[in-house]
Amino acid sequence: MNLINKYRAVIAIILTVLILISIRLLSPWHFKPDAKKWAEPSMLRSNIITRGNIGTLQGEKLIINLSNKENEIRNITGDIFNIAPDSVLSKKDLKIIKSHNGPILLISSETSVSARIWMLLSQKGCRNIYILTDDKENEVLKYKFRPDTITRPEL
Amino acid sequence: MIMREKFSAGLLCMGLIVALLPISAGRSLSVRPQKLMVELLDEKTYFSVDQVAKFLVTEDSTVQFFDLRSPGEFSAINIPGSINIPYNELLNNDPGRFLSDENIKKIFYSNGDFDSNYAFAIASGLNYKNIFVMKGGLNEWFKTIMNSNFSGDRISARENALFETRFRARKMFSEINSLPDSLKVKYIEAKHIAAKKLDGGCE
Repeated sequence: MNLINKYRAVIAIILTVLILISIRLLSPWHFKPDAKKWAEPSMLRSNIITRGNIGTLQGEKLIINLSNKENEIRNITGDIFNIAPDSVLSKKDLKIIKSHNGPILLISSETSVSARIWMLLSQKGCRNIYILTDDKENEVLKYKFRPDTITRPEL
Repeated sequence: MIMREKFSAGLLCMGLIVALLPISAGRSLSVRPQKLMVELLDEKTYFSVDQVAKFLVTEDSTVQFFDLRSPGEFSAINIPGSINIPYNELLNNDPGRFLSDENIKKIFYSNGDFDSNYAFAIASGLNYKNIFVMKGGLNEWFKTIMNSNFSGDRISARENALFETRFRARKMFSEINSLPDSLKVKYIEAKHIAAKKLDGGCE
């Protein structure tokens, strides 16, 4: 007791710091620390999967259909979950996503929407999320540029 | 003596906290998730390749293009005037050097839609403003601008203006990307100087 009294100022400061850090780390109103760590699968392209490769994913799949179109989810087996992109952070939907143990597949008719929602969920700490696409070579330039070697613009 | 003991105890405990807690030196997204989500789903954060072509031919000084591909891909071809920030390195260096000017429209592009949109989410999450994405990337640019073809008997005034812009953008893209690297920068600078001379008016 004497020790606590002696160091009460120090203990008070440390407890305050601990509480503030815990709030920051565990708060649902913030993203996880270290954005690069959570963005890494996108940099390695390990978060992209095609229909043909779905079988390589282990575990029960949760399919999140962001476009609400039935033809996007044809021939895919797993728990199908239609979520509008703007409600993906709702308490109920986020709980389902975070509590799912197996792989989570994001499907949308717009690649850009899938990419953005993927980053959003990943930065919230959701793991094992994949973007399902028919075009795995989306980031490969499909055209060849032929330089014009005849005309020279004036400098 | 007592103060010194207290101070040492405090430092020791702070050191323990820092060692034990998962505090990372890496940057974290600072914007609230709900606010970021609204921005990510805003259709106004995209520019079509035709809009980008217009910025290019009018040499809009309020626009800056950012190429998110590798340095090798960038040096092969790029949209004239682009700055190269490979997506993999976006969080390594301080992106604020390029992204902090709120008066400039910053348009991200890559070959497709993935990298540019990932980068958009990160940049917006870091609270940088006025960020946009060129929809479809360079694949869409080649398909729509570089391989633009009109078919039909008649052309409306609007279509004519569209094809005119595409033609000029295609010409500018081809000319500059056909230059050796050493001349590319000089060409863009020279065009800016020429434009300024015309803007001068009578003296």
